[in-house]
Amino acid sequence: MKNFGNRTPAKEDEIIKEEHQHVTFLIADESYSIGVEKVREIIGMTDITHVPNTAYFMEGVINLRGTVVPVIDMRKRFKMETREYDAYTVIIIVEVKERLIGMIVDSVSDVVNIPISTIQSTPNFTAKIQTDFIEGIGQIDNTLIIILNVELILTEAEIESLNLIDADKSTMNNQE
Amino acid sequence: MEAIEGLKDIFTGEAEEILQNLEPDIVRLEEGSEPEVVNRIFRSIHTLKGSSGMAGFNDISQFTHKLENLIDKVRSGDLKVDGGLIDILLNSMDWIKMIIFGSDADAGGDKKNKLKEQLLGQIEEYRHNNVPEKLKIESAVGKEITDKPVAYKSDTDPGLSSYNEEEKPGYKFFRVRTGFKESIFKNGIDPLIIMEDLASLGRISTRKVDRTRLPDMKKFDPENCYLNWDITIRTKHTREEIEDIFQFVNDDNQIAIEDLTTNYNMPDKLSPHKIGEIMLSENIITENELSNVLDAQKTDGKKIAEIILEKGYASREDVNYALSEQDKIRKKIESSTVRVATGKLDTLLNLLGEMIIGQSAISKAAELIGGEEGERLKNAVYGMDRTTREFQEQIMAIRMIPIGSTFEQFKRFIRDTAKDYGKEIKLELEGIETEFDKTVIEKINDPLKHMIRNSIDHGIETPDERIKAEKPAMGVISLKAYHQEGNVYIEISDDGRGVDKEKVRRKAEKIGLLKPSDEISDEKLLNFLFLPGFSTTEKVGDLSGRGVGMDVVKTNIEQLRGTIKIDTELGRGTRVIIKLPLTLAIIDGMLVRVGKWIYIIPLLSIIESIQPDKNDVKTVEGRGEVIYIRDRYVTLLRIYELFGIAPEHKNPWEGLVVIVESNGVYLGLLVDELIGEQQIVIKSIDSTLTKSRAISGASILGDGTVSLIMDIHGLIGEIGH
Repeated sequence: MKNFGNRTPAKEDEIIKEEHQHVTFLIADESYSIGVEKVREIIGMTDITHVPNTAYFMEGVINLRGTVVPVIDMRKRFKMETREYDAYTVIIIVEVKERLIGMIVDSVSDVVNIPISTIQSTPNFTAKIQTDFIEGIGQIDNTLIIILNVELILTEAEIESLNLIDADKSTMNNQE
Repeated sequence: MEAIEGLKDIFTGEAEEILQNLEPDIVRLEEGSEPEVVNRIFRSIHTLKGSSGMAGFNDISQFTHKLENLIDKVRSGDLKVDGGLIDILLNSMDWIKMIIFGSDADAGGDKKNKLKEQLLGQIEEYRHNNVPEKLKIESAVGKEITDKPVAYKSDTDPGLSSYNEEEKPGYKFFRVRTGFKESIFKNGIDPLIIMEDLASLGRISTRKVDRTRLPDMKKFDPENCYLNWDITIRTKHTREEIEDIFQFVNDDNQIAIEDLTTNYNMPDKLSPHKIGEIMLSENIITENELSNVLDAQKTDGKKIAEIILEKGYASREDVNYALSEQDKIRKKIESSTVRVATGKLDTLLNLLGEMIIGQSAISKAAELIGGEEGERLKNAVYGMDRTTREFQEQIMAIRMIPIGSTFEQFKRFIRDTAKDYGKEIKLELEGIETEFDKTVIEKINDPLKHMIRNSIDHGIETPDERIKAEKPAMGVISLKAYHQEGNVYIEISDDGRGVDKEKVRRKAEKIGLLKPSDEISDEKLLNFLFLPGFSTTEKVGDLSGRGVGMDVVKTNIEQLRGTIKIDTELGRGTRVIIKLPLTLAIIDGMLVRVGKWIYIIPLLSIIESIQPDKNDVKTVEGRGEVIYIRDRYVTLLRIYELFGIAPEHKNPWEGLVVIVESNGVYLGLLVDELIGEQQIVIKSIDSTLTKSRAISGASILGDGTVSLIMDIHGLIGEIGH
């Protein structure tokens, strides 16, 4: 949480008891968010080392002050069109099941308090992304924010990635 | 409640350690009930009793109380030791483990209670049936047997044990300085008698005569007392009793009595932990006597304590006292260690890794600065480099643990397993002080166990077979550990029947690994034993012989970046040699570039690097691309193809080929450039990230980027050679 010390966490007029703090970010001009408790830190784009034999969206690994952390390109994860990384591109480091994973997003916008009362689960909501990745829709200042189920996205990513590798491997073994 | 939980955690850790040491001792007891071993067992059980009670394991506390009584009888010689006792003790350990480490799910199980009742019954039975003959007669004649054969009753007060700390000889030391007045004789008192009285209370340790008052002969008055004493006495008596001796002179003479007991038992005496030195410092024996004893020991190799007894320099009581002192000192030395959570050590190592990385970044930057300033910076970095290297060695040393306790625990395993197979086997250990990385110790256990099991099952013959083969009925399995050339080795050998290479060959031919015409080295032939499903045993043993196992052993060893080799002689025995790297956290690596990526190849795997001639690169059917080097063909592997990246050179004669080797298989890796050698701090990468066996980890380079470490063995496995 120390990384957000300089930001204004909540607007003063929002004195609603039950709120949830979220980090919001942009992917293809759409606002997404994840619970702030899952976010370890946010870093600028850094050198990514390619790792062979991984899923398509696994961008590689980075050096996070001595720890080797895998990073996922969220555009690729959501099967969106990719684009060049720019000065705004950031990596959000999240902790899922005691492991660190980086998510590459277009830009990070803010830390906001989303009143829980405004969060609605919207099964029929049409989004650019797979709906089961969505935990709910929140609203701040008339802007819709898609709250992501980060655990599902990342754990499923792992499973997919492993399946993909296994598929590769079985073809490899057949050659033996 | 939380405090109890905390206590439980501490107890569990402690108990694990105690049990680990206890089991080998129990097995050792079977080989001969040396008092030292019995005492150690007794103390361990006593500690278990105490701390289990504190942690709320009342069951264990009551149970160990019974065990303690049993061992106490052994200790005092009132009970003899046989295999039955060893079984009872070992089974008791199992029960205790069940209670402490068993999951909650089976905590309420009847099985545990049944086992407990059964064991308690056995303990009682043993206590009454195994009194040595001569004691039986004695007790029949007069003495009443104190422990009547009663059914086990729950002992409500586990603290009420027959064990009594006070029974141990507890000596005190007093320094007595007399200040007899000159006219003391005139009062009709003879100081000498007083001093003799004092000496009768114990043993005079040091004595000095104060002659300062002694006048010139001319002034000497024979009726005056000029002398005084400064005496240290070792005694079991109290200060009051010492003072009593001086009660008639105390009033008008100055008698200073000082209790020095603590000085004599202080930790500054930690160093003399040799029994002779202890006895010397306690003034039980003199220096002359000690040197006599030491000389005698050189010639007949007996234990010091025994020689002292033989020579009559000290009573048995004194020797026992010295032994117990020795033990106290040992304990003090032990307690001067600190238990550290292994996680903290790992963090420390990680931080050090960061330092090394940072340092290599600085030294790179230093090279860019020219002139005198750059030179100075380089020198400074060079100096720091030495410190970090030493630092690294020290941290590595902390992670190093002697293999001893890992080896020791197999004593019980061998005893139990050999029994099941009707074989007689003893375990010999060598190099138990050899230190291994903590991770190795943790992971080597299962492979060792498996190979020992193999030796018991397939290696060592039954006593009948052995006698027929003119071997001693008792087979020997030996575990040996040693350092050599930057590696550590473990050897598991037995003097059993050895592996029949012909049989291995037939089996290999049968399953199509070999053609009858093929020639193969013994080493390669025996390597087949590590293949999954390869077993030459016809009958399937209870434990081994199902063909699973040796391949798992091999995989485990390879995970530790080690190698394994079998050496065998038919009829004479088998030896398995495991070679492991000294440390798992840092390796020497060669940095190579492919396109814009840098990979690390462990230096150990690299044979050489060459730029092949265009004509030496050929395509061979069934083997793909090969390079002809020095009369042999080496398979060429294009790293860029395997890893799916863009290279600078696609032609081997433009790039570089690094020849690597693992387990006798050679491979040529096509890279663009060699960057240089470097010490590599290995960072683990998430196992779910890639299953590529060609990548074993990652490291962070001087410029902060991550570089992947290639695993040549895995690579060869992955491409199917």
